[in-house]
Amino acid sequence: MIFSYNWLQSFFAKKLPKPEQLAEVLTLHFAEVEEVRKEKGDYILNIDVRPNRAADCFSHLGIAREIAAILGLKFQIPDYRLKEDKNLKSKDFVSVEIKDKKACPRYTAKVITDIKVGPSPEWLQKRLIVCGLRPINNIVDVVNYVMLETGQPLHTFDGEKLEGEKIIVRFAQNSEKITTLDGDAFTLDPEVLVIADAKNPVAIAGIKGGKTPEISRKTRIVVIESANFNPRVIRRGSKKINLKTDASVRFEHGLDPNMTEIAINRSAYLMEKIAQGKIAQGLVDVYPQKVFPKIVKLDLNYIERLLGIKIPEKEVKNILERLGFKIKTKKGKFLNIEIPTRRLDVSLSEDLIEDIGRIYGYKKIGAVYPISALIPPRRNLDIFWEDAAKNALKEAGFNEVYNYSFFGEKEAKLFDFTKKGLIEVENPLSNEQKYLRISLIPNLLKNVEKNLRQFPDIKIFELGKVFKSPNTEKRMLAGLLVGDNFYQLKGVVDSLLNSLGISSIWYDDYQAGPEETKLSVWHPQKSAEIKINGEEIGFLGEISHHILSGLTIPAKVVLFDIDFEKLNKSVSEEQEYRPISKFPSAIRDIAVLVPRQIRVEEVLNKIEEGGGTLIRDVDLFDMYEGAGLPEDRKNLAFHIIFQAENRTLSSEEIDKIQQKIIKTLEKNPGWQVRK
Amino acid sequence: MKTDLNSLKNQVKEELKKEGGSLGVYRKYLGPKGEITQILRSLKDLPEKERKEKGKLANEIKNEIEKAVESGKYKTRDAKYKTQDAHFDITVPGKKPSLGHLHPLTLARREVEEIFESMGFSVIGGPEMEKEWYNFDALNIPKDHPARDQWDTFYLKNGLLLRTHTSPVQVRYMEKNNPPLRIIVPGPVFRHEATDISHEFELMQVEGLMVDKTVSVANFKAVIDEFFRRFFKKDVKTRLRQDFFPFTEPSFDVSISCVVCGGKGCPTCKKSGWVELAGAGMVHPNVFKNSGLIPKDWQGWAFGFGLERLVMMKYKINDVRLFRSGDLRFLNQF
Repeated sequence: MIFSYNWLQSFFAKKLPKPEQLAEVLTLHFAEVEEVRKEKGDYILNIDVRPNRAADCFSHLGIAREIAAILGLKFQIPDYRLKEDKNLKSKDFVSVEIKDKKACPRYTAKVITDIKVGPSPEWLQKRLIVCGLRPINNIVDVVNYVMLETGQPLHTFDGEKLEGEKIIVRFAQNSEKITTLDGDAFTLDPEVLVIADAKNPVAIAGIKGGKTPEISRKTRIVVIESANFNPRVIRRGSKKINLKTDASVRFEHGLDPNMTEIAINRSAYLMEKIAQGKIAQGLVDVYPQKVFPKIVKLDLNYIERLLGIKIPEKEVKNILERLGFKIKTKKGKFLNIEIPTRRLDVSLSEDLIEDIGRIYGYKKIGAVYPISALIPPRRNLDIFWEDAAKNALKEAGFNEVYNYSFFGEKEAKLFDFTKKGLIEVENPLSNEQKYLRISLIPNLLKNVEKNLRQFPDIKIFELGKVFKSPNTEKRMLAGLLVGDNFYQLKGVVDSLLNSLGISSIWYDDYQAGPEETKLSVWHPQKSAEIKINGEEIGFLGEISHHILSGLTIPAKVVLFDIDFEKLNKSVSEEQEYRPISKFPSAIRDIAVLVPRQIRVEEVLNKIEEGGGTLIRDVDLFDMYEGAGLPEDRKNLAFHIIFQAENRTLSSEEIDKIQQKIIKTLEKNPGWQVRK
Repeated sequence: MKTDLNSLKNQVKEELKKEGGSLGVYRKYLGPKGEITQILRSLKDLPEKERKEKGKLANEIKNEIEKAVESGKYKTRDAKYKTQDAHFDITVPGKKPSLGHLHPLTLARREVEEIFESMGFSVIGGPEMEKEWYNFDALNIPKDHPARDQWDTFYLKNGLLLRTHTSPVQVRYMEKNNPPLRIIVPGPVFRHEATDISHEFELMQVEGLMVDKTVSVANFKAVIDEFFRRFFKKDVKTRLRQDFFPFTEPSFDVSISCVVCGGKGCPTCKKSGWVELAGAGMVHPNVFKNSGLIPKDWQGWAFGFGLERLVMMKYKINDVRLFRSGDLRFLNQF
């Protein structure tokens, strides 16, 4: 909010610090001054007044009071002793009725007659302009000026244009219409509070005045409105009609009902001075429930306990008084403090301690380590396993990425997610963030699209949450590599799972659901379900052509997608050392020619069946099909490692087992061991 | 026998002259089935005199071969290396193994967790889709209150919202755990705002909360000082200034002396010497109440900071959007 330095100075007899220095003092003890700028022989201070202080500090008076408290200066409230005309009474010109006293706790009106509408004096115009307001005429300018001075928004009506000389505060009727001072037409509804005369709305309460009773050159009688409205009502109304004004911003933060009177009298005083009006006697004041100052009990010891610094009692009292708090009584270490009604933000002793602390200076609070029971932190296993998985993938040469938790309509359609429980954002920033991601895959593939030109060998992964209707969120771990590398990625998944203490890994053919077949993410053959102890925990496979061409990725991509919550249940930190056998192992190779449809798994099973317990391990080291082999055959070559726990195997013994393996293999029609 | 051995000796000499101490010669005579080996093995069956004579001669031949093999070996090896190594170029770039990289936010998060864990803080998680109650009302931010405007919010069609801060976890945790407690909550948060080099709609935030019988602002200052010094590995200074958050009273913004210029003033700190990095304050009594605790029994402080901002300071990263860009030219540097 913009404040004028000269205006602030006008409250003080003594010279204030220079604008830059004043800004620094305010920043340290009140609120951040975001900008200091020279303007038209004045300086602008742009102060980020926090919402809790809007009630008293969206005003020059409020800021001046803060300056006085911080610097210990005396400040003067401007003079407004009224010279009322004894022959005129405000209540003879207008009556006020409030239909809903919760929506409008106070409505104050005052009348000025015989005014001469014209331009405001230069000094007043200048202050408005510096604060970003456009001068209109001496009547409107006065109430705007008083708003900037006191924080209380006011409004003026041409007293002769109010039907029935009546003001009624009520909620609008359905489809009731109003045209504002700016000439904009609004259709209202019963959520919007209005000021009406006997017939029609004449203002949108607390937001904007209406055109009909506007102050014009011909206006002779002015009715000033200074009212207090329920902040929620104004906020809702302002959102409803999508109109924010200097007045509505102040009202929606809440204001002190006792301020209406101060502001209306100050306005009357200025109108008399500037527009040569006559002030009618008295106020028309509807104020059914007067607000009185609260009393807050402050424990002097609590100040030290909360802030961690001892502030002398004398200093505490001094600060409170400088801020306008009244110390009513003192009992031992307890003060009873009267809170001025303008301080809507103070109702607890903590609120007072904040004021004491900031004025005293937080800078004076030293650093003291807390004294606490030595309770060790809990171990967070979720994070432990996340870290373990990330480390394993990093060691396998993968780069970690963080993507947004959103994707758009395009991805939803391409990946056929639309019917699978996407959660839609009510107010997306753009179409690209219309949904919460239900899978990590689309954004990972978009990373490929983006990086492929610079990096042909992309290996990336992400661990993050996905979201599914109605309200589930869970962690997924997905990774990919570019190229025709199914088996390489399968190996990565194996070693990832091994590093998490999981050994019972199994891969099954991917079973596409009937509705999936056409639009599946996965290549129909080159994809598998990853299973641990028989439970499916994710998928591994090549991304289908349909998806890759939809994203314009001119390369093959293999990807794994693992449900990290399921995985988290199978992980284990336990590991047992297996003693190294004292007896040497022996390696024999075997190559077998099998029909192409035979899977390696089947051959491995046969080798183990034939070899029995003396086989320690079998490794596939070569797989070949193509030139030199019959069309329907492939050649599989294995290392077989033999070892016994209790003796050195003789070569005769190994030969015998090898022969048995060969026999078992060749029992199958079309299998041929190459000797 | 002796003559046999003598002629064998000559034969060996001839061969050594021709071939040098080759492996072939060695094997032929001294291998497991070599001639000299066999002779030496048979010595034990001979009468003593003959054994001595023959033994001596055979050993002479053996030594000669070994000597030749030994010297020959070095000669050829040295020669070979000399010619081959003459042009060895140590300036050829090394072959790097292809290493993976963890995201800078992961690295920073681990560091933050480690520092706070060392001070007895547990690391806690919480949901990213949140109820309005936990994100706002329970934190003393009522409906229809302008204070809510401080948090631009993504609302979801399932009635939830994307949490705008990690503070809801304060309430969630205190509902289930009695003080004394010390936690940090790292995790993503969402702000409904347009992006530019310093604004993002998805950020990583770290929340902290300590509650005990007497926990003060001075205690907070000590802990946060310690954290920043360890994180930046510099003797940074911390400054508290009043601020407003509905869920703390008093509230602070926390600045540190600029790690780029050391507080002298530079473009990073807009010449002020200070950089705002966190919001903090003493837990508001209403937050204790909403968490099922009796406010007068407990005191505590809470803080929250954006991890991106810390990482940007630490590595001098100039654009917050890089973190979620998936750009490998960026990610490969960490």
